[in-house]
Amino acid sequence: MIYHASTIAIVVFAAFVGLVLALSFWLASRAKSASGYFAAHGQVGWFVNGIAFAGDYLSAASFLGICGMIAFFGYDGFLYSIGYLAGWIVALFVIAEPIKKLGKYTLADALNAKFNSRGIKLIAAVATLVISLFYLVPQMVGAGALVKPLLGLPHWAGVMMVGSTVTVIVATGGMVSTTWVQFVKGTLLVIVCAFVVALLLQRGFSLPASPIESTEVQTISKGPTGTIVNGEPLSSENQLDSQLRNKHGLGFGSVAVLPNGSTSTGPLGPLAYIKTFSESTITTWRKGSDPSGATTFTPVQRTGSDLLLPGSSSTFKSVRSDGFFAKLDFLSLMLALFLGTASLPHILIRYYTVKDAASARKSTVVGIAAIGVFYILTLYLGIGAMTSGALDPTDSNMSAPLLARTFGNGIFAVISAVAFTTVLGTVSGLILAGAGAVAHDLMKDYWGMDLSDRQQVRAARFAAIGLGITAIVLGIFFEKMNVTFLVGWAFNVAASANLPALVMLLFWKRTTKAGVISAIAVGLVSSLAWILASADTLEKVFGYSVTDAASSALVPFSQPAIVTVPLGFVILILVSLFTSKAQSCPR
Amino acid sequence: MVASHLPTRRRWLAPILFWIYTVSYAAFVVAAAFFTFQNGEPVGGLAQPAFFGLSVGIVGGFGLIFGAFLLAMIYALLGPRDQGDPPRAKK
Repeated sequence: MIYHASTIAIVVFAAFVGLVLALSFWLASRAKSASGYFAAHGQVGWFVNGIAFAGDYLSAASFLGICGMIAFFGYDGFLYSIGYLAGWIVALFVIAEPIKKLGKYTLADALNAKFNSRGIKLIAAVATLVISLFYLVPQMVGAGALVKPLLGLPHWAGVMMVGSTVTVIVATGGMVSTTWVQFVKGTLLVIVCAFVVALLLQRGFSLPASPIESTEVQTISKGPTGTIVNGEPLSSENQLDSQLRNKHGLGFGSVAVLPNGSTSTGPLGPLAYIKTFSESTITTWRKGSDPSGATTFTPVQRTGSDLLLPGSSSTFKSVRSDGFFAKLDFLSLMLALFLGTASLPHILIRYYTVKDAASARKSTVVGIAAIGVFYILTLYLGIGAMTSGALDPTDSNMSAPLLARTFGNGIFAVISAVAFTTVLGTVSGLILAGAGAVAHDLMKDYWGMDLSDRQQVRAARFAAIGLGITAIVLGIFFEKMNVTFLVGWAFNVAASANLPALVMLLFWKRTTKAGVISAIAVGLVSSLAWILASADTLEKVFGYSVTDAASSALVPFSQPAIVTVPLGFVILILVSLFTSKAQSCPR
Repeated sequence: MVASHLPTRRRWLAPILFWIYTVSYAAFVVAAAFFTFQNGEPVGGLAQPAFFGLSVGIVGGFGLIFGAFLLAMIYALLGPRDQGDPPRAKK
């Protein structure tokens, strides 16, 4: 699709980025000490921290990825919403208060609080860097997806813009500016999305001007002279959805049949909206290819009730299969989402920014409220996008901004700018977690470099710049991947590497430092190896066909958590038992 | 003033609330995996109607999201006191 920039979009976007950068420079003076840079002096209020949790957590995967997945596949995206929120229960009831009491600046601080081990510092820092990089990729991909319609720029330009803006935020203001950027972002995201959902409910559903026939296949291919759409060169007048718009008044994604034979519903309440959708028939588009190699999009009518069941996407198709390993794949992903949240380094370091354990608890409750509201909204945004006639079938990540555009350029500009700050907020948290791992855990504690407070901050600033550049390169490389899918992997790795060590450290007195090191190392390596050897990776990263990927995969299903999380626990227990006499956990 | 012994009170609440939610989440996931489809066709589980024309999948999903907030609020209001908490008003 060709996207043209609108002036209002550019103005709103520039205002948002300017505000965020101004905030960072203004707050930079408060982040000159290590305590200020890494933990905002532990003086962030619990309410601000709670909303900042939402700002940190509601990433491009949540906003762009989940909305896109619901818009393309229905209920499957909502399963991510459910799993992502459920993970906060583990954070609240198991991790929040102890981690606040144990740690100082980084996750490694908490894991190492009772041992003073260089080995724990090293492996925890490596795990933090790997998980943060895994999580960074989808955020950067989301950034690239956003600037295409917003500014009419190519994907790589969006990735560069986010990477450089975030690097400035983190390098200047550390946790102080990151907290406020995340607070502003979290607030705006929930409010703006609620506003769009209110508009959606007011609009209800309506049919296109004429029915879309199953023979109206749309094609796109790369030819020697450029992109060919439906047999003609791609242009502003001949885009992928141009034929549909000219004939039916709507592009991709529309309602085919409404209940009771009506052509329009008018305004609907929140429950009636879902009920009406489930009783309707929806025109979805199946991606395929024709004999010439062109990509085809074929209209397929599906009932709303079927779309509100899991299993339409490749990630969750295993739910509809009767195979044992297919079921395990689904259970494993849902387990990873449940356990991963409380294992994400960039989330855990937010607990160091409040003054005590009580504030940690209260801020988690505020975070759950804000995040829960947002995830409810994602279902409406996804269904709205699916029936808006505005989808880009080549890019699911664009669904939410394109839905906003159906309400006018002003709303589109605001929601795209908010989505952009969404990426900024999450990426700044990730880069800060990585910078802390490099400067505080590796340079100061593991390598024993004699760094003063200010030198440590300076090292973290340089680490942030390095991580920012890395994020840019990865964001460009992984352009075509659905961001939610990638985040699912990050949750698997985080849960496998960090959760066994965190939980056993808190609840099993016989945990030893060798046990902690082994659990993190085994969890990290085994989950990464499993992902690399899986059919999903072969298909979606290395471009294998579905059948080739299935036959070449070295593991029976793609999501590792159901194997690698228990493995981490077993390794920790065994190694701790073998080493308990020599190095029991000090009390 | 907050008495020093208060942090140990109601420590049982967090594990209970945690397991209530974990069992609910597990039941939902198991229902999706094993009881919703047979031979690729919806037969029950999340596909069953719940109320107001909505399926168990939708009602259960909303329930897990609202339930998380409800349990978090219960914990915030009734959970153990810590040094940083303001004292509860006496009745």
